[in-house]
Amino acid sequence: MAAEQTSTLTAFYATLKRDLLIAFKRKNDVVNPFMFFVIVVSLFPIGISPESDRLSEIAAGVIWISVLLASMLSMDNLYRADYEDGSLEQLLLSPHPLFFMVLAKNLSHWLVSGLPVVLVSPLLAYMLNLPEEAYTTLFCSLLIGTPIMSLVGSIAVALTVGLGSRGLILAVITLPMSVPVLIFGTLSVQATLNAASPIGLLAIMLAMLAVAVSLAPLASAAALRISVN
Amino acid sequence: MPPVTPESPVDKVADKPMLRASNLFCERDERVLFSGLDLELSEGQILQLQGSNGSGKTTLMRILCGLNDSYEGQISWYGEAIEEQTASFFSSLLYIGHRVGVSKALTPLENLRWSCSLRQQTSEEEILKALAEVGLRGFEESPCYTLSAGQQQRVSLARLLINPARLWILDEPFTTLDKKGVDLLETLLQAHVKAGGAVMVTTHHKLDIPELSILSLG
Amino acid sequence: MWLWFSKLGSPKWFYDLSGKWLPWLIGAMVIFLTVGIVWALLFLPPDYQQGHTSRILIIHVAVAGTSLVFFPLMAVAGVITMVWRMKLADMVAKNAAPIGAWFSFLTLATGSIWGSVSWGTWWEWTDARLVTMLFQFFLLLGVISLRSALEDPDKAAKACALLSIVGLINVIAIKYSVEFWNTLHQVSSSVSFSSDSPNGPEFLIAIIIMLIAVYLFLSVCLIMATRNEILQRERRSQWVQNLVRLS
Repeated sequence: MAAEQTSTLTAFYATLKRDLLIAFKRKNDVVNPFMFFVIVVSLFPIGISPESDRLSEIAAGVIWISVLLASMLSMDNLYRADYEDGSLEQLLLSPHPLFFMVLAKNLSHWLVSGLPVVLVSPLLAYMLNLPEEAYTTLFCSLLIGTPIMSLVGSIAVALTVGLGSRGLILAVITLPMSVPVLIFGTLSVQATLNAASPIGLLAIMLAMLAVAVSLAPLASAAALRISVN
Repeated sequence: MPPVTPESPVDKVADKPMLRASNLFCERDERVLFSGLDLELSEGQILQLQGSNGSGKTTLMRILCGLNDSYEGQISWYGEAIEEQTASFFSSLLYIGHRVGVSKALTPLENLRWSCSLRQQTSEEEILKALAEVGLRGFEESPCYTLSAGQQQRVSLARLLINPARLWILDEPFTTLDKKGVDLLETLLQAHVKAGGAVMVTTHHKLDIPELSILSLG
Repeated sequence: MWLWFSKLGSPKWFYDLSGKWLPWLIGAMVIFLTVGIVWALLFLPPDYQQGHTSRILIIHVAVAGTSLVFFPLMAVAGVITMVWRMKLADMVAKNAAPIGAWFSFLTLATGSIWGSVSWGTWWEWTDARLVTMLFQFFLLLGVISLRSALEDPDKAAKACALLSIVGLINVIAIKYSVEFWNTLHQVSSSVSFSSDSPNGPEFLIAIIIMLIAVYLFLSVCLIMATRNEILQRERRSQWVQNLVRLS
């Protein structure tokens, strides 16, 4: 029988589709980090102050840090189930470059856990009394920043996938790595509030995204090979 | 029910063995698992790995698959080192490990759709036919967490029917299978080697296949 | 070339060679440390602006300068581990992480002490270098905890090698973004590397002596720790057992 090997693009889409399907079937894994994000953001006004002036000052930072934490929590599932049931081995043994398979998994993770958070951010920004003119910037910065965090976090998840209990080690490794994204994300909102243009800062974030897309999956792929070893 | 015939390796040099490992050395946790190990696997051959628990059968298989790289020595695929040609090696290899590679959240059909799409174009009918042949007719759309371990193993065996890989590396494929499943797998193995494929298998089950050769570890 | 490289990678060769060098290194370290500390703390004329406070700056700058070397060192060792699988590189990297964390901590501590006097605060978020050092410290702790979490030494070696390489890129990214974030503070500590700086050449010479001393201290620590690691990992080999029998 003439069995033609699939193109890498087909394999990429198939992996993306599969991960989205799994996410759709395990709604808990998707909903919980999202709920976590919303709840954490809602706790800040209670913990700090209900005064709208003070809230508007911290709004961008609070949303960004909550996004960071939620993204880190949701990352934990990225490779674990596949590692446990052996699908990861099958992925490593596929004739296609692992780079694109990892990219597909990261993209699916972002679509499922990053995008909803970005979409709901204007609502939370409203609740935290962020001045209206900064909504677009916050939205854009999160739109660029969350995939960077997915890509970078993926490396740490891949390194720790074989560990039994690793909730905190993941945090220790990933959180310091997100400093650059956090800085530019919050600075761009600040710039808008100071009536300056955030375009330059967002462009830097786009550049970071480009670097992350081209390098991070390589590191994740290497990390997966190490972990499955 | 002949399985898909492995592609005949006309493009390869005929006198080179399919898979050859020479002078393999591996140690784990400061214990030497094997050293100076040589093995050859040619078309039409079944190699059964034997050895007590912890003798390194699984490790050896994972090394030969390219999943484990903490070894010293050379492994070649038709005379060329496997590191030089991973893509063509991987496309001719089917590995089923202890963890069978079946996602519990998905149905058998969805699982196979994905694992086939990583390798070669497969039609929906082929997948359904393979599932029927491994005895999963009627379970195509049930999520795998509702299936028994043996049935999940069968899902992974269906891949053997669909993928025209020349080399099968199977780690304890018989453990969770019932009597009928064992018969099915034995038939599959026989048909595969008849068609010029090669198999490496670990099992404590006694295989009744004429082409069988045995390698003992530890 | 290849032969030399694989010889260099042999733990026994390193153990023998470093055994010969170590006394000299320790001697040099003691001399430089004594001269540096005694001179900086007792004899150096006080800074024209900062007075006696500047003395701790000499130690701070030397330690800070040294702690910058760890991530590059671990990343290079990581590349060697991943590409050539040289075990010695991993032994060095393994011990570099805790020493690096300790140096980063010392940098933060001496920086705080100095800051408490001259800035009037123990911690200053607006100082980019201090913040960068803090996150380098965190990243090093991450490498250490990954190492201790992975039981298989071979896997731990490769995983930490990869994390060190990623970490180096990250430290650089953090450094520039934090600098961008806040560039309000004094540039390079009022120590400019020219002899006509208001502090005079003595100040510069003291810092250089101290820097050499701390580098020597780092090398001695790293070599001794690596030698320990070699004995530990090669304990079943013939030459280590002979060594134990002799002593």
